[in-house]
Amino acid sequence: METKSDIKLRTLLDRRTPGHSLEQEFYTSDSVFQADLEFIFGRHWIYVGVEPDVSEPGDVMTIEIGTASILIIRDDNAQVRAFHNVCRHRGARLVDDAKTSVGNLVCRYHAWTYNLEGTLLFADHMTGDFDKSCRGLKPVHIRSVAGLLFICLSDTPPVDIDEMSEVITPYILPHDVVGCKVAHTSEIVEDGNWKLTMENNRECYHCTANHPELMNALFAFGFGYAPSEDNAEAADEARYREQVAVAKTTWNKAHLPSAEIEHLDDRPTGYRCERLIIDRHGESQTMDTHVASQKLLGTLTTPKLGGLSFWTQPNSWHHFMSDHIVTISAIPVGPEKTLVRTKWLVHKDAVEGVDYTVENLSAVWKATNHQDGDLVAMVQRGVRSPAYAPGPYSPFTEGLVEKFCSWYVARMSAELG
Amino acid sequence: MANGRQMYNVKLSRSGREFSCAADTTVLEGAKLAGFRLPSSCCQGMCSTCKSKLISGTVDMKANGGIVQREIDKGFILLCCSKPTSDLVIEK
Repeated sequence: METKSDIKLRTLLDRRTPGHSLEQEFYTSDSVFQADLEFIFGRHWIYVGVEPDVSEPGDVMTIEIGTASILIIRDDNAQVRAFHNVCRHRGARLVDDAKTSVGNLVCRYHAWTYNLEGTLLFADHMTGDFDKSCRGLKPVHIRSVAGLLFICLSDTPPVDIDEMSEVITPYILPHDVVGCKVAHTSEIVEDGNWKLTMENNRECYHCTANHPELMNALFAFGFGYAPSEDNAEAADEARYREQVAVAKTTWNKAHLPSAEIEHLDDRPTGYRCERLIIDRHGESQTMDTHVASQKLLGTLTTPKLGGLSFWTQPNSWHHFMSDHIVTISAIPVGPEKTLVRTKWLVHKDAVEGVDYTVENLSAVWKATNHQDGDLVAMVQRGVRSPAYAPGPYSPFTEGLVEKFCSWYVARMSAELG
Repeated sequence: MANGRQMYNVKLSRSGREFSCAADTTVLEGAKLAGFRLPSSCCQGMCSTCKSKLISGTVDMKANGGIVQREIDKGFILLCCSKPTSDLVIEK
């Protein structure tokens, strides 16, 4: 049955002005937030982590999305599986830790015991017509895309993840995610709606003024710009074009795909990727733009390869360099709270203190995340005001923000039915 | 030796309790025979309810998925499927 809040939501979706930020309710209302959890985070492929999070059989990671808790597990056959973190007896949460290692999954309430395939092995004092085979853990759909883990809480996940996987795998594979280890993880809770977190990620209009550390390495030109009449900026632009041309030759020789592929708003599993040059020494997103880890990833042999960037709807962005990977997920926590989880990956044989230090590895994105969190909170405080009205996006620098919003509106409308 | 069976002394370090456990009896069963009930459930080496730290001594353990190598390396055992092969001190 269609509820009052469904009707309100449909009205808001239908009257959205393209090319403009969303109306206030999308960023502040609890009923829109609940609909986001149900229609976006409940029915699309959500990026949750990497295969190296659960590298050994028995490794377990828990992920919280809304009221759902999901177990990501490496089973004894080295296959990654996902289950709801709920005992089939009386519903107790099975695993409390964010990460742990187990032989079997055991509920500490009455010791119901499941193996890593989710099969119920042991339930004491249950006799008669009790059938253990009907009480296995509830599975959750999970896909590894070149080592990046996506889950879908729906019984019928979007099938277009196959297509994304096929396209993006040759881009990511040279960086060998599976051959990495998680060197460092950070979690920050931004005081803003998850859509503001994502919109902020989808433009670099704000970068020059707000991200001095990141802008050591990035060219804002890589993210769109208005052709300038300013001579100084035109010179920068010319330098950028020249360096891209040189880099393309190197990338082609190394068989590294680099062309932009963009499907952000024309499908349920929206994504975009592109290999971009890095400024100065050109190697990595670090303070000095040199590699942060001396052990290069996979079969890569040269440090100066720029960075492959990969963005997915609704909740992730990733940067793959020759020496390390920065991979970020955004998970809604409340209408005005979003968890941003960042992982830094290095070659699994790289030794901390010898090949890399966490401080150098994480300095740029720690600073950038902190700055972004501050910006998102600032926007959240502003959009709460009665004076807030949707404002126009720059057609040059905010085209991808528009694509995020148009994807969101289209997916919500489709799922609302 | 008792009645021709090899016996070992088992000490529980926290409670200070001690008992004798035969070499062909699991530590959990030995404790029960001595009148001490320790937390347990499946008694098949699966559920890990009886997982405990072995402070000193050696056991013959036949676990059934209830403990991982990393835990064994840190000195943990499952009392329900471990038979003593020396005197033991267990953190309990």
